[in-house]
Amino acid sequence: MPHESHREEDAFESQFIEKYLSEYASISSIVREALPFELVATVGGVIAGLIFSGMTSELEMIPGLIVIYPGVLGLRGNISSTLGSRLGSAIHMGLITDIDRNNPELTNNINGSLLLGFFMAVLLGLLGHFVTLALGFESAGAFKLILISVIAALTSGIILSAVAVLLAIGMFRFGFDPDNVVTPSIATIGDIVSMFMLFVAAKLVVML
Amino acid sequence: MEGIVRRGLPVLSLTCVIGIIVGQILNSKESSLISMPAILILIPALIKIGGDTGSMLGARLSSAFHMGLGDRIFHNPVVYNSLIAVAIVGLVSSVSVSVLVWLASNLIGFGMPYLTLLEISLIAVSIELVVVYSATIGIAFASHRFGIDPDDTVIPLIATLGDLVGVTGIFVALNILNLV
Repeated sequence: MPHESHREEDAFESQFIEKYLSEYASISSIVREALPFELVATVGGVIAGLIFSGMTSELEMIPGLIVIYPGVLGLRGNISSTLGSRLGSAIHMGLITDIDRNNPELTNNINGSLLLGFFMAVLLGLLGHFVTLALGFESAGAFKLILISVIAALTSGIILSAVAVLLAIGMFRFGFDPDNVVTPSIATIGDIVSMFMLFVAAKLVVML
Repeated sequence: MEGIVRRGLPVLSLTCVIGIIVGQILNSKESSLISMPAILILIPALIKIGGDTGSMLGARLSSAFHMGLGDRIFHNPVVYNSLIAVAIVGLVSSVSVSVLVWLASNLIGFGMPYLTLLEISLIAVSIELVVVYSATIGIAFASHRFGIDPDDTVIPLIATLGDLVGVTGIFVALNILNLV
């Protein structure tokens, strides 16, 4: 009886879905799990915003700085959270157990993310300069914009990599799953660190 | 090491291009932004919400599909519950951002009326969530259909799309409220 077995399958499937929905995917359980992380992340965003609002004189002195700001922040967030999840997987597989300069898994991941950040920062500065000119706005020049985005990307990359490594290894030692801790933490402090480093880089370039 | 760079370059280049577009939107209104420091404080926090909650939605949908919990978009309780839940998280977070920005801006002496900040946050976040979640659901279904691993590409794209729609939403709100 193909018809009946089909109905049994349906019944099985809907039972399975109901169990899943009530335990893991009910609206209240998702909200309870996700809301605290997002509220903490928005506090990080507001701190980054405070730094941003303190940069108004740099924004006026360096035309084009406001153009590269979303890119610098987004880039750092994307690269560092990918690094965090890669470290988490490597720790779970037992490839990384300790902070060890000679561990190729660890150094390749960090160097790779810094190198990627460097290339992207150069691209961001170049694009920032030429697109700004093409739209008829004033730009501080490709050299200054590239210098700002490279300084900001590398310094925030080094800081966030160090935080990601220490957090991932430390959390694992204390019995936490690094995947649950590292990515949200990096997302929160990533904005603060990269905004602060963008501010410092802009200040340095103004002094040139 | 070359592998990490080679895999990351295409998607990140695309996010850089979108980031520059976001930057140009800000640039075109730079002088009015500099005259409203409260909005400068608001921008980074508010535009994150769409990308963050959109990534949560994307991750939930892709694991639900992996577990075989149906692959329809409509009348699917997994999609429906996840969508409602992340929308609640997004809206509650935007209210929290408006309170924090009001406190912070008053603290440094560039205060704005609280109601204005709340209105800007809610208008901008509503626009952001509708666009980002629609795109997320579309991308999650497409990557499931075509067997693409969503983690490496989808999340950076959703985060960047969130920035683009978030900044656009803030300017739409400022226009509606006649502040720009």
